[in-house]
Amino acid sequence: MPEGTLCNRKMVNEQEFLSALLADKQGKQYYAELNELDVDHKKLVDTLSKTLKSRTKTWLEICAHCGMCADSCFFYLANKKDPEQVPSYKIQSTLGRLVKAPHKADNAFMQYCMDTAWGKCTCCNRCGTYCPFGIDMGVMFSYLRGLLFSQGFVPWELKIGSGMHRIFRAQMDVTPEDWVETCEWMAEESAEEYPGLEIPIDKEGADIMYTVNAREPKHYPQDIAEAAMLFHIAGENWTVPSEGWEETSLAMFAGDWEACKMQVESVYAAMDRLKPKRMVVTECGHAYRATVIEGPYWAGLPSGKTPVESLHYVEWVAEALRTGKLKIDPAKKIKEPVTYQDSCNYIRNAGLRDIPREIMSYIAEDFREMKPCKEHNFCCGGGGGMNGLGRYREQRNIGLKVKRDQILATGAKLVISPCHNCWDAIRDMEEVYRIGIRWSFLKPLLLDMVIVPDHLRAEE
Amino acid sequence: MFKKILFATTASPACDHAARVAFDMAGRYSSDLTVLHVLGVPSRGFGQYVTDVRTGEQLVPDEDYVAWVKEEMKTTYAEQLKQCPECTMEAVAGIPHTEILRFARKTDADLLILGGHTKDRENEGYTYRNMAGSTLQSVARSARCPVLVVSRPAASFWGGFSNIVLGTDFSKAAEHAFRFALSAARQLDCRLHLFHALDISGMHAGKMLEQDEIENRLRDSLNTMRRKYVSQMKDFKNYEIDAWEGVPYVEIVKYAREKFADLIVMAHHTGSRDAETSALGSTMEQVVLRATCPVISVNHPDKVSQNA
Repeated sequence: MPEGTLCNRKMVNEQEFLSALLADKQGKQYYAELNELDVDHKKLVDTLSKTLKSRTKTWLEICAHCGMCADSCFFYLANKKDPEQVPSYKIQSTLGRLVKAPHKADNAFMQYCMDTAWGKCTCCNRCGTYCPFGIDMGVMFSYLRGLLFSQGFVPWELKIGSGMHRIFRAQMDVTPEDWVETCEWMAEESAEEYPGLEIPIDKEGADIMYTVNAREPKHYPQDIAEAAMLFHIAGENWTVPSEGWEETSLAMFAGDWEACKMQVESVYAAMDRLKPKRMVVTECGHAYRATVIEGPYWAGLPSGKTPVESLHYVEWVAEALRTGKLKIDPAKKIKEPVTYQDSCNYIRNAGLRDIPREIMSYIAEDFREMKPCKEHNFCCGGGGGMNGLGRYREQRNIGLKVKRDQILATGAKLVISPCHNCWDAIRDMEEVYRIGIRWSFLKPLLLDMVIVPDHLRAEE
Repeated sequence: MFKKILFATTASPACDHAARVAFDMAGRYSSDLTVLHVLGVPSRGFGQYVTDVRTGEQLVPDEDYVAWVKEEMKTTYAEQLKQCPECTMEAVAGIPHTEILRFARKTDADLLILGGHTKDRENEGYTYRNMAGSTLQSVARSARCPVLVVSRPAASFWGGFSNIVLGTDFSKAAEHAFRFALSAARQLDCRLHLFHALDISGMHAGKMLEQDEIENRLRDSLNTMRRKYVSQMKDFKNYEIDAWEGVPYVEIVKYAREKFADLIVMAHHTGSRDAETSALGSTMEQVVLRATCPVISVNHPDKVSQNA
């Protein structure tokens, strides 16, 4: 059978297609159709000839099979050093073979590629740090995901996810109206505690344009309220755009390059429209990678940078604490042992490793590093889209063991995790392994610690 | 008195007592009643799956499923629906307290009704403890309208009102609670008992108080109630004031029992953002669990004066 009605090479550009995918319980029909999906060899060869560049060719060629990457991969460690989990093996047996003989790729091989690219790799890029040649398997897996996506070999949830971006410019079905409504609601909720607090929408020329993860308006609006309170306490001149507010990119996880571009362009358009001095991204790792680090290249911006300077939330927090915009009440610092989950996407892949340490020096009395930490830290276990994929739930749960043991070794019961993905993975870890820990974003912790200036307090 | 009532239900026996009150009130006051069931909690990162709150099953709530849940709700409440056939059934997926508050805002509800004892320990995993805490806690904290909580079976009768107890800690939120209690007492023509419990639970930890000191503080509390509340009551004379010492929730429950209270009105404010720690210490939650009558939590002024 060539293409199915749900599992096919078509892009999800219409609500109708998206609804049909959503109505397919647990992707049952989708995965049944996947077993029948043909490979479009002509298209595959064509895509390869246009996108396979010298770096990837060189990497695939020069790999010496030395195995230095093996111990860098948490899947390898969590799976009792299974040789099939060695990063170089994983990439050579998939992309390596595909590049050598694209005509031989059949359904079974493509499914093997898919199960490896999404079920055995979170694109955390740790292996790239340890390869003596600097070969980055994570980058190559991202590329492989793109090839697989164009052939329709993509997990059901990510077909939906990229469709959400195409239709809503958000990873979930949140319309601009829903978003604005939620901001107004949260401003109302917070204004009693902080008189005068606003969530300014579409204000031109603000110092900060704040952007979020669609899960916040959808499920955790309190996160937006907390951000607003902290900006308010810090006296920031800030705004949120009514459109172009979504930073995340399931399209990046899916390998839907076209939707990646559409998504970041909506944010850059908001920057052009509102002309803020800077942009701040919420506590999300892959959102920062997508919109701030990779996005400018997707959008073809010659500078390789976002139209205005962009900060991860931790950078804003560190700056606010450093300059005294936010002051911590010394008596309210975190007393208990506390550890920090380094999100791969803004620590290893964007160089912000020292920022969280600076923050911890202001807010925690007993900060304990995981081992290893900073850019050497392991993925939470749920990155690269893995948290949301039913098909690889088992593999994900096995992978979580590495993070579990790292956290246990610190002796801390509180894990600070300023990344939606890590936060989710750690929550799920507690559900699966019950090790008795708590986990938190920075915002709620900061709100319990900051000194609120007298003129901002509600009258008692 | 209550034009728009939102009843948030687990659509399980845990909410039966609350349901009886909700439908009964809606019938009695000809209110617009919306019955809301949050059917599933998102459970896999960005994934579309939700965990069905009743079965624990993983599913994607598409239109068909939501329609089916609404039908189920109608079956569950078939008996009660006879009382108010006009009521609207709603089912959504999401984090319960977020969706309840979102709906309360959307429908501009002036009373929210919840069951008090719905937390299922077995399924605690997907209540998102750290973020959400208990649904009741978060809803009572943020709701713009009074929140009526019905927990125990004996509490389920909402009928001839005679006695309303206001438990106050003199906070700003308690001020709103007072206004609500007063307007309810006026409209329903019942006796209003203003009550303050002096917290001496610290004594076990060695913070001993002289008896004179306790009595002085009780006297002060009575004076504060006269100054803060009685002064606002004008021609309303059907009231009494009391202050007892002890563990606040125990004293409030005892006092309510002694006064044959049909309703306890309290503020439910807390400074802490960590739902887990504040939940344990919450006087209101303890009162809800133990009192033999419904408890109304009032934290904000919005729907209070409107009701008066």
